[in-house]
Amino acid sequence: MHFDLSILLPHLGFLARGAELTAAACALSLVGSVVMGALVAIARTSASSTLRRIAFIYVDLFRNVPFIVQLFFFYYGLPELGIYIDAFTTGVVALSIAGGAYASDTIRAGILAIDQGIIDAAEVSGLSRRKIFTRIVLPIALRTSVRPLGSVLINMILTSSILSTITLNELTGSAQIVVSQTYRPFEVYVVLLCAYAALTYLVSLAVTLLHRHLNRDMMEAVG
Amino acid sequence: MLKVENVRKAFSEVTVLDGVDLTIAPGEVVSILGSSGSGKSTLIRCINGLERLNAGRITVDDFDVSKPKELAEARKRSGTVFQLFNLYPHMSVLQNITLAPIEVLKTPRPEAEAIARKLLESVGLADRADAYPAQLSGGQRQRVGICRALAMQPRYLLLDEVTSALDPEMTAEVLAILAKLAAQGTTMLFVTHEIEFAREISDRIVFLDKGRLVVDLPTDRFFAADGGRAQPRVAQFLSRMRKD
Ligand SMILES: Nc1ncnc2c1ncn2[C@@H]1O[C@H](COP(=O)(O)OP(=O)(O)OP(=O)(O)O)[C@@H](O)[C@H]1O
Ligand SMILES: [Mg+2]
Repeated sequence: MHFDLSILLPHLGFLARGAELTAAACALSLVGSVVMGALVAIARTSASSTLRRIAFIYVDLFRNVPFIVQLFFFYYGLPELGIYIDAFTTGVVALSIAGGAYASDTIRAGILAIDQGIIDAAEVSGLSRRKIFTRIVLPIALRTSVRPLGSVLINMILTSSILSTITLNELTGSAQIVVSQTYRPFEVYVVLLCAYAALTYLVSLAVTLLHRHLNRDMMEAVG
Repeated sequence: MLKVENVRKAFSEVTVLDGVDLTIAPGEVVSILGSSGSGKSTLIRCINGLERLNAGRITVDDFDVSKPKELAEARKRSGTVFQLFNLYPHMSVLQNITLAPIEVLKTPRPEAEAIARKLLESVGLADRADAYPAQLSGGQRQRVGICRALAMQPRYLLLDEVTSALDPEMTAEVLAILAKLAAQGTTMLFVTHEIEFAREISDRIVFLDKGRLVVDLPTDRFFAADGGRAQPRVAQFLSRMRKD
């Protein structure tokens, strides 16, 4: 056989829509993971031992079960209970829950690293607990955990390829369809390799820029 | 009035404040002296509600800091300046100062910012409003810390060793601002090791010894040989500070 990428030209639009779906699922799941991660991080630092235990079980459970099993559980298991959600939503929910288990660790580390004096200052100024968390604690924790959260996101992009197993035509799913139509797996998967590499590279670049932006005060202090 | 009545505070088994009584009237400047570990910071932290009392009562303009429903009102009436500044690192100077006025007092943002800029100007930092704490010197950070407390227009300003993390030059710049505030009639409760400065600006000086408030005298009486100095612990403390 000879290598000929041009035969994929008619399918590029289809693949691009798959890439869009991957990006959309991952972006939503990132938000979901940070929300889940923050909630779990709060629960893990909470005074209630029940909450702490639930959070601990959550983190342990979802980190020690293969993602594909979690995904099948949500997609094929929940309908048995009368809960029907579409493939895209299922994918986002599953990725958010799995990602949240990882994100909670880095967010928790970020929270624990905050100087208690800063929280004291916020408290005596009369800010409510919720305001202190959303305006002071979370932003400071996030700025120290941008990089580790970036790794969570990159892992999520890689893991999202598994969503193709529940009929979601994201990047990998679309590629499989194109293979079945063209019988050119080599070309298709070369493109797929490059697409994932480009996607994750862009993300790490964005993470670096975001980290620099959030910590701009320190950069300028040094520079 | 800020009233501390028979306050006891213990950390597990160790009693740190033992029956402390103290009253501060509007307009007064009261300095708290005492050796390290005597409970000065703990007293400040009890007044602003960061520590829970084991016994006794603290009221700020009749609002009891031990009652959850009154604590918010009590806190609106006092402002705290910390030894290590405790500025919010992710916010600009202006945001540090306007956060609480906007969120707690519900001051409209433009007004809060105008007040903040005026305060910054009064401490010589008009051009640093958009800087971040990490970009400021220690003395500048503490001046921002003072502005942040003042922006809430507190009736009582609580200051806990606000210059002890600063070198002499920066200490001087911060003390100059405090002297100005004192002259303007700001009510202050001032924990310090700067004895000479305390003597200059205070109406009264109180002395804490192992959690007990053993002396509470007008400034000139505190330093008189037959006044505060008559107390061996005070005499000892003052002579030790002299040497340093
Ligand atoms: N959170 C805490 N837990 C246990 N012990 C504490 C706590 N905070 C203060 N202490 C103890 O209470 C005592 C009084 O401390 P405090 O910080 O009030 O003293 P201070 O007069 O401010 O001293 P310094 O001049 O060194 O600042 C000390 O023995 C200290 O170890
Ligand atoms: Mg102290």
